[in-house]
Parts: sequence; C-alpha cells; structure tokens
Amino acid sequence: MATEIHVNGAATSSDWQDRYYHVDQILDRPGPRTDPSFLAGDEVKDFLRNKCKILVIGAGGLGCEILANLALTGFKDIHLIDMDTIDISNLNRQFLFRPADVGRPKAIVAAEYVMKRVPGVKVTPYYGKIQDKDDDYYMQFNLVICGLDSVEARRWINATLVNLVDSENPESLKPLIDGGTEGFKGQARVILPTVSSCYECSLDMLNKPTTFPICTIANTPRLPEHCIEWASVLEWPRVRGDEKLDTDDPEHIGWLYSIAVARAKEFKIEGVTWSLTQGVVKNVIPAIASTNAIIAASCCNEAFKIATSSAAYLNNYFMLIGTEGVYSYTFEHEKRDHCPVCGGEALEMSISRDWTVEQLIELLTERQTIQIKKPSLATPEKPIYFQQPPQLEESTRPNLEKKVSELVPDGGEVVVTASSLPFSLSLIITYT
Amino acid sequence: MSSQDSQDIETATTAIESAPDTKTRRYDRQLRLWAATGQSALESSRVLLVSGSATSTSILKNLVLPGIGHFTILDHAKVSHSDAGNNFFLEGYNSIGKSRAEEAVQLLSELNDGVEGRADTRTLESILESHPEWITSFTIVISHNLDHALLNKLSALLWKDAKYPPLVVVRSAGFLADFYIQFHEHTIIESHSETSPSLRIDKPFQALREHALSLEFDNMDSTEHGHIPYVVILVRALEDWKKSHNGGLPKSYEERQQFKKSVLALKVKGDEENFDEAEAQAYRCWTETKVPSEILALFSDPALSTKAMDNNQSPFFHLLAALKEYTEQSDTHTLPLTSTLPDMKSDTNNYIHLQRLYKTRAEEEKQAFKSYLRVPVDDGMVDSFVKNAHALVVLRGKPWGTFDEDKAALVESLSTMPKETCIHLALSALSLLQASDTSVSPSAESIRAKIQSIVGQSTELPDEADDAIGEIARAPFSELPNTAAFLGGMVAQEVIKMITKQYVPVKGYCVIDLIETWTGTIGA
Repeated sequence: MATEIHVNGAATSSDWQDRYYHVDQILDRPGPRTDPSFLAGDEVKDFLRNKCKILVIGAGGLGCEILANLALTGFKDIHLIDMDTIDISNLNRQFLFRPADVGRPKAIVAAEYVMKRVPGVKVTPYYGKIQDKDDDYYMQFNLVICGLDSVEARRWINATLVNLVDSENPESLKPLIDGGTEGFKGQARVILPTVSSCYECSLDMLNKPTTFPICTIANTPRLPEHCIEWASVLEWPRVRGDEKLDTDDPEHIGWLYSIAVARAKEFKIEGVTWSLTQGVVKNVIPAIASTNAIIAASCCNEAFKIATSSAAYLNNYFMLIGTEGVYSYTFEHEKRDHCPVCGGEALEMSISRDWTVEQLIELLTERQTIQIKKPSLATPEKPIYFQQPPQLEESTRPNLEKKVSELVPDGGEVVVTASSLPFSLSLIITYT
Repeated sequence: MSSQDSQDIETATTAIESAPDTKTRRYDRQLRLWAATGQSALESSRVLLVSGSATSTSILKNLVLPGIGHFTILDHAKVSHSDAGNNFFLEGYNSIGKSRAEEAVQLLSELNDGVEGRADTRTLESILESHPEWITSFTIVISHNLDHALLNKLSALLWKDAKYPPLVVVRSAGFLADFYIQFHEHTIIESHSETSPSLRIDKPFQALREHALSLEFDNMDSTEHGHIPYVVILVRALEDWKKSHNGGLPKSYEERQQFKKSVLALKVKGDEENFDEAEAQAYRCWTETKVPSEILALFSDPALSTKAMDNNQSPFFHLLAALKEYTEQSDTHTLPLTSTLPDMKSDTNNYIHLQRLYKTRAEEEKQAFKSYLRVPVDDGMVDSFVKNAHALVVLRGKPWGTFDEDKAALVESLSTMPKETCIHLALSALSLLQASDTSVSPSAESIRAKIQSIVGQSTELPDEADDAIGEIARAPFSELPNTAAFLGGMVAQEVIKMITKQYVPVKGYCVIDLIETWTGTIGA
C-alpha cells in the first residue's frame, strides 16, 4: 500500500486521484446528444459510485465481461446471480476463472476475482436460480443486466420486471438490458418495462430449434446427427432405463458416441465424431471471447448511460454479425399490442368448433408468438385444465378430450397460465 | 463396391475417437468455428501491440484466451493514476509508477499458460530508427491512439513489402472510435459463406443421369416410391421433359408451371413428401449452373498473369489458375462438383447410394482439377480449395492514410455515409491537432477547422458533423472502459480472421458510435 491516498471528489477512501479521469470527462460536462436532465458533476458521480445498485444475471461468457466492465465504469454495488459451476470448456472466454476453479460456483469465483482486482467495488454473489428471489429482492435495484443462455430464464425475468411496474411509483420501473451471443453473432437490447418493447414482444424473432422427425431417427437415418439422436432419444432409455442422461458426464457422452458409431456403421453413414455427438446432445452453441466482449461492452455502456443520463441510450435493439466484415443493424423494436406480458389486450383466437381442449393446448405450445410449454387453462368462472397440483390435474384431465366449445361460449374468455412464467395470457375464443 | 471402398467406409464409420484431451475440451466452443486448422494458425501467430492502453490489453485478452502463440506489448510508459482506474490488467493503486507493459503482460499471461507474453519497454521511435526489421517479424501489428507522425512511419514501413505483417490502426475518444486494417492482399479459401454449391441438377453427370433413368417408377413398391430422393426425381423428370421438348429446358412461366405439375403427377399417394420437396426444388432444373460471377471475376485477377505466376506466386493463385483452366476445359464449364448433399426425404439406402454417386464423381473431378496444377500443393489445401471453390475471396487493401488524402473519395463518402465519415474525420482531426500540441484540449472550433482542412475548404460539412465534433470536444482524451472493451472484441475478432484466414475480415474503416450504438464501414 502506497503512502499517499488522494481523494477524488465524492469518492470513497479506496479511490485515488484521477482514478476516474476517463469516465469523468463524460460526467463533468454534457455532449451534443445528452438529455437536458443530465446533472453534470458531483451529483451524478455520487449517484453512480455511492448509491446505484445494479443486478447482473449470469456469470458466464457475458457475465464475466459485464462484471469487469461495470466495476471499471465505477458501479460500486453489484449483485450477481448464477446457478452454474465452472466447466473446463468455459475457460476459452470466461476470463475470471482458472483451471483450478473448475467445479466451483461461477457467481462466487467471479465476485472474488473482481473484488480483488478492482478496489472498492462490492460484488454480492448468489449461487442459485433467479426464480429463488422474490419481488422485494428485484425492487432494490436501479438496473438489471442479463447475460443469460436460456430463453426461458429471459422470459421469466422480463415478466417479473414488467409486473413490478406500478404507475404510482416511478422507482418501480427497472430498465432491463439484455445481451446474447452465438458464434460470431450477437445482440444487445434495452427494455424499459411497460414502456418499450419487452422480451416477450419479440418472441417470434427466435429461430426454431432443429428437430428431427422420429420416423427418420427410428427407420431411415441419413445423417450422422440422426444416428446420435437415435442413441440419445431411443437407445438410452431402452438400455439405461431410468438413469438420467447427464450431458456433462463424459462417460455418458462416450456411451452415446459408441452407440451412434455402431448405428452409423450399420447404415453406412459417415461423419459421427465425438465433437458432433456432444454438439447434438448438448445443443452446443459455439462461443468465443471476442463476440462476448463486444456485446457485454454494449450492455454495460447502456447501463452507464441510463444510470447517469450522460448521453442518449440505445433505442432499442443492436444486432451484430461478424462473419463477413462487420455487419450490424440498430433499430427500434416495436411493442406488441397483444403481448401476453406487457400488452393490455386479450388475444383473439379463432378455432374450429370441433377442437378439443388438448388440441388448443398443442396450439399454444407451438405457435411462435406464444410458446408456452405446459399451459393451464381456465375460464373466469371455473378451471378447464390445470397442470398442477396433481389432484387438480387428475380431476380436470377428462376435460382434455372435451370440445372447447362445450366449456367456453363463443366470444368467451380463457385465461392461460404456466408455472414457468409469471404472467397470464387472456384469450377471446371465437368459433368457425 | 470394391474392397478398397468398403474398407474406407469401415474406417470412416467405425474409427473410434478417444475422449478429447484437456486442450481440445478447453477450446471446444471455438474449434466449432475454426476447427483444428484455424487453431493451429492462431497458435503459430506472434502479435505485437504498440501501447499498453486499456484498449490494447482488452484486445489482447480476446487473443490470449483463444490461444495465440505469442504477444509483445511495446510500451515505455509507467502506469499513471488514470491508467490504474480504467485498465483491468493493472492492479489498481498498486500498479501506479510501475512499467505499464510489464504489469499488463503479467496479468494477461494468467489467462492462458499456453501463450507466451513479453513486455518491451523501448520506444517505438528508437526501434523505427535502429532496427525496424524487428517489427516486421510479427504476424500482425496493432496500434491504439498512436501519435500521428509515428503512425505514418510505422504504416509506411509495414506497407513497403507485401510480405510484411498487416497493421491494425485503432483510434478512440469517449464514445467514438474507428479501426482500419492495412494489408496488401488477403486470400480466403474458407470464407464460411452461407451459399451452398450447386447440385448440378440442370447438368447431371453421367452416373447420376443413368441412375435416374434406370429407376422403374411404375413398378416400385409404394414405400420405395415414397423415398426416392428429390434430386433423382428432378433429374428424371427433366430428362423426360427434354425428350418431349427437343432437348430444351422449361423456359417460360407456363412451361415451368407445367413441369412442376408433371413432377407432382408422378405421386402415387398424397403424402409422398419427397415429391413435394421435388416440386419446391424444381427451380434447380432451370437455374443454369455456372461459375458464380464473383469467382469469374477472380479469373481475371492480375495475380494470374504469366509474369506474376512466374514470380513465385502463393499456392492460392496456383490453385486459382488451375481452377480457371479446369472450368474452361470441363464439359459443363462449371466448378468441380460438390460431394456434400443436403438432407432430404429418403430412406437410408437411396440416400447413401446418391451420396456415393456424388462423392465418386466429385473425386473424379477433383483429380481432373489437380492435373492442371503446375506446382505441388498440399493435399489438405487442395481438398479445402475445391470444397470452397464457390466462395473464394480475394481482398486487396490500401495503405493507411490514403482515404484522408483522397478529397474526391471523402466528398462521396460524406454524401452517402455522413455520420460515419464525420466521426472518422473528427478522429483524424483530433490526431492531427494532438500532433501539433499535446497539452491543449481541442475546442469544437479547432476540430471543425481541422476537418475542413482535410476535406478542402470548398466542401460543405453536413449537419452530422456537429455531433461528431461536439463529442470529441467533450471528451478528447477519454478512454472509457466500455469503449475499450467494445473495441477489444471487435479488433480481436478481425485479427483472428486475418490470422486463421477463415471468415471475411473488414475492408475499410469500421466506424463506431456508442451513443446511438451502431457500426458502419467506409473507405473500403
């Protein structure tokens, strides 16, 4: 520890003179694209460094980058949630982790590392799921940044933050900054819950996952992928019964690989490799440090601008493709009127008079704009079919075969809920 | 099938790989993008960073993690109070006063013990003076916010010889940035293009044609009928069409509709998806397979002149010359046939049989192609070249600084891409102003005046210039951590593309605005 410690404006004692020289050039004066409400000088610095509380969700490829960037930007009170432990394949990009850390919880290791490297920053890690935390927890933050790898988790946090918004309380609006990457592609977006387009509004933009028809897998394989799917979807349950397939277990992958190779030999199909096996079974997405760095930096840059009002922020979607030169597209994604999460209106749905409840449920699962996995249905008066709890499921199960028209009048309302998502979707059913 | 064939299939389908080693597991997610060949290129590379700024170390992080061979940070500076606050690869207050290069190298090296890092505390000036050849020994050189005069010297040095390394020039201030790769020529075999090569259904090779004609559609059992691959259906349907149309292809809209109907008429059962596929893919019958225009353009490339070829050209151009001759001499005047079939509705036997027909023919055409090669070329490279013949890329660059000296180009760029050009010019102005006086913070007026002198007094600056000038005047010396991190990713990505020679690097100035959050490329 050196002998001189210079205090910089309203900074805490772990700061030193000129620590924030670079950031302060922005915070000391407005620029041409700065909102008039910007308060240059000590007040904004005090807010950023002493008052602002920010939540980072995910401590993986994006999360590590986000954490480091936020700390250097001057955010001092950062909370971090991640439910995973460190794997060796993370080390090519998740730079807060070392080979000795493999097996340890990501949130905890990341927090330790950043607090050691950047003096004065407090990172509070939580090793667990975002669903473990309640509304009071989320209410304490000024901003939320997500570096998640699952659509399901994103939908959950999006819906949670939208539901938090109380028009009487401006503090209840928590800007959500969401980032995602895949190989050389990435996107960053700014969501102002109830004000701008939300994550659910853009659900139909997602690529449909690759699925192989079961008859191809079972009877007419042509590609090495078909052989691998056969091993994991058909052969594993047949041979290893109730044992749960753990795609992170090298023994399981090894077993699937050799089964797939044998099947490929039988059908004279080339191309089954260990790498392909792992790729298909785990749905591996290629990932590199550089794309994660770009997207994480954009997210943190938006967080900085929003927290300080020092410059106009992204409105509202930035997409980047780096395979051929540098191609990016910045646009404003529009709010959807019938968005089940942030839209107010009920969705009109026209179905055949003969449709059963089961068929309606299948539609809700498959339609691109809805995609609810295990929906429960009810009219305002009574339940139609509930997935849980078991007694209610059993008692409503006979309704699955009944025609919807027997239970719901033409123009009647059906409320759809799902345990995985904290929102309900209102449907107005009309019959053809 | 010959015994050689069955042995090959046997080996190809049953050779069991052992579980991947630690390094493969660590790099798994990136190997899926550039494979072992790309990784090997990275691991042989030697990267030079001129400056140990936050942006430089950020770029390096994204190169060390994927496993470059070696990096050197050339920086004579000591860590300042402000450096210690914006650079993750310094240890806060404790680094102040120490060598910036040495502190950064130590912390960056922790990220990957397979990478060798070196700190060099000499000045660039002294090296350019006494032994510039040291700089040319690297695979690629990267500079950040380098002093104007030194940058000119460095870029001129590296431009002297086409074999010298490319130079990546990075500039930033506050929320604005741009970067440029200076290189003579960059050839790419594995561009990873999204377009797939033609299946040549309009010009079927003999074995395919014979196979299609040999099938007795009427006498097939219904399961077999429903599993004929669409490629075979189309080749057959086209042959039948040609018989009754004087050898002509379906030309007019009516004829094409008729052709599609005739394909569907072959259906025996309504649910035969293979015939539906054939109808959807029918365009392949009348879309002429020929050499793609971009590749045709390459055949006129000056590098293929006899003079250039005699002067010891690279394998790429020897391969390109062979490709040109091959397409000229082949019956179909097309690129060598692809061996890769897309998936399609079919049973295993039919599909594998069709695949084998393509593989066999593709191999024959590849051998024919090889006969035109005048020099020996590594087999792996030949295979890759033929496989990617439809998507080859040759880029030719210009020296750093040419764009700013070309007033006509600047005027054009200001009218078509004003935002990007104004930011680029504002950064150039800043660099020039600093060259004359490093102590003074430039005013908006002085920046504007300098931009005006670059474009010429008679050129009116668009309104977009106000924002760019205002931003630079607000924060001329600000190296924001998020801008540094953003650039770190962008530049590292381009460097990886240059080193691996896979995917296509950016040509021209990539301009970045982190207020409205966009990127744009000018001056290509």
